Amino acid sequence: MTPRAQYRSASVPSLYLDPQIRDWVLFPITLVMILVGVLRHYVVVLLQSSPSKLPRAAIREQRALVRSNVLRATSANSPIPLHFYQAISQDLSKAFAEGTYLKDGPPKQGEQQAPPNPLSDPAAMDGMMAGMRTQMVMMVPQMIVMGWINFFFEGFVLIKLPFPLTLGFKSMLQRGIQTSDMDVRWVSSLSWYFLNFFGLNGLYRIILGGDEGADATNLAASPFAVTPQVGQPQDFNKLLKAERDHLELAEGMHKWIGDDVETRILKRYGRL
Amino acid sequence: MDLASALQRHTNSSTKNTRASRQFFESGIVIYRNNAWHKLGDDSWQFLESLALSAIDNGRIDIAEGCLDHLTAGFPGSSRVQCLEGILKESRDGPEPALRFYQQVLEADPSNSTIWAREISVLRKLGKIDLAVDQLSKFADTFYTDVEAWLELADIYASQHQYTSALQSLSHVLVLTPQNPFYVLQAGETAYSAQDIPLAMKFFLMAIEMAGDDNDDATPPPPTGITMRAWYGVELSAARLEADPTLATSSPSKTRAPEHLPRLRKLARDVINSAQAGRQDVESEVSSRWLSR
Repeated sequence: MTPRAQYRSASVPSLYLDPQIRDWVLFPITLVMILVGVLRHYVVVLLQSSPSKLPRAAIREQRALVRSNVLRATSANSPIPLHFYQAISQDLSKAFAEGTYLKDGPPKQGEQQAPPNPLSDPAAMDGMMAGMRTQMVMMVPQMIVMGWINFFFEGFVLIKLPFPLTLGFKSMLQRGIQTSDMDVRWVSSLSWYFLNFFGLNGLYRIILGGDEGADATNLAASPFAVTPQVGQPQDFNKLLKAERDHLELAEGMHKWIGDDVETRILKRYGRL
Repeated sequence: MDLASALQRHTNSSTKNTRASRQFFESGIVIYRNNAWHKLGDDSWQFLESLALSAIDNGRIDIAEGCLDHLTAGFPGSSRVQCLEGILKESRDGPEPALRFYQQVLEADPSNSTIWAREISVLRKLGKIDLAVDQLSKFADTFYTDVEAWLELADIYASQHQYTSALQSLSHVLVLTPQNPFYVLQAGETAYSAQDIPLAMKFFLMAIEMAGDDNDDATPPPPTGITMRAWYGVELSAARLEADPTLATSSPSKTRAPEHLPRLRKLARDVINSAQAGRQDVESEVSSRWLSR
């Protein structure tokens, strides 16, 4: 760059934006993105299937671990004497070993314990489909809007930021424009789209209230997020069997708070 | 009562979790008659639900039906509304139709815990204790953390003089809520009825310890409420253990009898006396007569 060119670019604005760009490109893009976000929120709400109801056996299976956790949590200062504690603890341990709490009943003798296949369980399938549907609703409108901007407004410069920025922002603010010399303060249409895409969440939260479905940075819903791992259904049989060791350990630590309560009371009243 | 003050009252009282049916109904009916429940905003549905319940309590089935109609229109198929409908049926048509209604709902959705709980209570009311116990055991096994289910089970067992089973249910209650002295006291009384005197005495002492204040330096204040009851329990158990030493070794739960038995008994008598000191009413007279038995 010659000294003269440097002088020119610093003093005289090198570029004028047609006000029509502001009225017919900048505002429409912003407006469309807000509206799409709001619409998407309502579509997601509509698509949300009510949580499927669990049969009794499944609830029981899920809460079996809670039972042992609750019991173990009290063992060091247990409210019940060892006799009752052992009754509950050993009963649980036996039930875990036999698989009484399993949703499908105790596993049969000799049956190969294959890890459950997520595709074979209709309940897990439903959850997966719901996740994919939500993701589609998140992605498709964004792709359409992006295509629309790319098709009609490719290479448009929309606004000039009112503050200087370093060159590092060039790739962020001038996406779609292949000029190496242009001041970083100019923002291209595609970059404006991305700025809106990530920046509008706060606005959605105000419009829709709460942290709602339109939030694109919502990890599971963002088109840029890695597809969330489909929750591997838990193998309760293994979990419960492992829990037996914990139960045994906790039983060893059992101490009833009633053991020396009489001395504590007598001391408190100064009789000992 | 005029509408404005009724509305004012219900905006304030909706946060309180009390069941003063009569007062609630009297002010609620004003709002209902004026169709002003919309003005309560987000609370309006909850108001309708509470009004329906208080109307049932006050025998005004017509009002309850009106509320239920509004709620059914607002939330078709809601399990909470279904529960209210069932309660209304219990009050209006008697237990059998309500039981059929509950069973019908449960067939469609077996894991609806509120309806299931109502079904069990109706079964108990109908005197089908065996069925109620059976269902309630399944309920408590499924929804283990439901303390009230275990309490109800203990209550049913106690009403059938099955004190050992009641004590087992209460042991689950204690594991789930180790911080509640009322349940400890109840366990103590149940253990006493089950002839497990050492265990009962331990539970009474635990209840006293838990319900007492944490101020270690001062001498403890005279007992009130449940601590009083627990002290009576301590005195009673100590007296029985002194009179019949075999009770101390025959505890079904193998509980060791408390040490310093005479001292504990003396302490219990002193504490009870100190609570009755200076009082000249029937209670203190009965109490002193009982202590000198």
